[in-house]
Amino acid sequence: MAGMHGMHEMAKKTALHDRHVALGGRMVDFGGWRLPVQYEGVLAEHRHCRAAAVVFDTSHMGQFMLRGSDAAGRLGLIGTQDAEALRVGRCRYGFLLNEDAGVLDDTILMRLGADELLLVVNAGRAETDLRWIEGHLRGDVELVDLSAAGWGKVDLQGADSAKVLAGLADVDPAGMAYFGVARGQCCGRACLISRTGYTGELGYEIMAAGDDLRTIFDELLSSPAVRPAGLGARDSLRLEMGYPLYGHELTEDRNPIEAGLAAFAVPDRPFIGSDRLRVLAETAPARRLVAYRAESRRRTNPGNEIRCDGRAVGAVTSGAFSPSLGVSIGMGYVEAPFAEAGRQLAVDTGRCELAVVVCDRPLYRGGTCRTNDPL
Amino acid sequence: MIPEDLRYTREHEWIRVEGGAGVVGITDHAQDALGDVTFVELPVEGAELTKGEEACAIESAKAAVSIYAPAGGKVVAANEALEDDPGLVNTSPFGEGWIYKLELADPSEIASLMDAAGYAAFLAAEEEQ
Repeated sequence: MAGMHGMHEMAKKTALHDRHVALGGRMVDFGGWRLPVQYEGVLAEHRHCRAAAVVFDTSHMGQFMLRGSDAAGRLGLIGTQDAEALRVGRCRYGFLLNEDAGVLDDTILMRLGADELLLVVNAGRAETDLRWIEGHLRGDVELVDLSAAGWGKVDLQGADSAKVLAGLADVDPAGMAYFGVARGQCCGRACLISRTGYTGELGYEIMAAGDDLRTIFDELLSSPAVRPAGLGARDSLRLEMGYPLYGHELTEDRNPIEAGLAAFAVPDRPFIGSDRLRVLAETAPARRLVAYRAESRRRTNPGNEIRCDGRAVGAVTSGAFSPSLGVSIGMGYVEAPFAEAGRQLAVDTGRCELAVVVCDRPLYRGGTCRTNDPL
Repeated sequence: MIPEDLRYTREHEWIRVEGGAGVVGITDHAQDALGDVTFVELPVEGAELTKGEEACAIESAKAAVSIYAPAGGKVVAANEALEDDPGLVNTSPFGEGWIYKLELADPSEIASLMDAAGYAAFLAAEEEQ
């Protein structure tokens, strides 16, 4: 056995770092941060999220607060979300694109007030995003990097999460619609609560100052339904849903159309990359992002070649064992004629050619995220 | 947990010698470091391996690693129970989680492997790094 050792230096610690260590978390570097890849085990944490509820430390993600009378107008010109049309109390998934419609980052935009918006971005892209946004801001708008100011975030995810939160927050979690957001208190601490997540399950993201987040994290974990979960489960949960991960399915060389996410980048108004998107939309994309499953547990890995009848037709972007399906699953880009559901393909894992079948997303269909009856 | 009756490699495999044969698995330390094992690629029965040659591979939710032959010989059995339940490597690394059995080409090769005390000292030295 070999190859188990990794390097870890200079990564930042979240406000919950001592909690992770005390809980037995296996700490790794991710996006410039020290975070737990697992506590008790990836499979158990994954299953507990699908069955009950887990809490993730997502404080590594960037949080940018934008305030001012021009905030919504300017943001609507920078990102694909129509910030001006976004109602107060609602969130919207979308992208920061470059002029070529390549994806700089995928983001969640939250409308907190008429002149107040929060943009949540990926950890590894936060610095790039910050420079990009600041370079495009004009007029009456102020950007505050809440992450740099010590704010953090936890994601409470799982079918039991509304029950757990109902006892702790002054916001009624059951009354909050999918992609809703509200200001409130949790465990007596000021926070933002959004009904969003990255697992496919009913869930809430709770954003608060570091000190407050520690209290919230401890209180959430004191609920018998809730266990801590790490990056490993977070990745297998999102992959079962076919959600993209920046750096894998989304890069500056990919556009939202080929990723199958054109609905989150509609060029019916001007924003950076919208001109190029309109041109791209005139012709079908040459390649498409697909999800697939194998009959075997053998994993496929990013970069593995995807083949049809021995010919290379694409490459894997993510692969993992799916605890819910009991087989290996993955995503990758393939030439468009090979992208329809049901298409039999093969992945060269480096050790064998593994048969896979293209599937509609999500791969896991039991997710509770859209439920109208959270309790 | 380091059983006294086994021999160990620096790659964290163990081998239990029974007559002219050796049963091979990975240690408790190794399974703990790997995390949940999700797939074991078993060696093909009849395969001839030399000492230190890759015999098969293990995938976990976190990593993928090669398993090497602690000694040379012919693969005479593979633990097919791992196909449906690879987690046996985690729950019973020295027992039900065994991986394959070798007919030893040269039983004297075993003498060069670490005993339990040697492996314990090796782990302690690794920890310090």
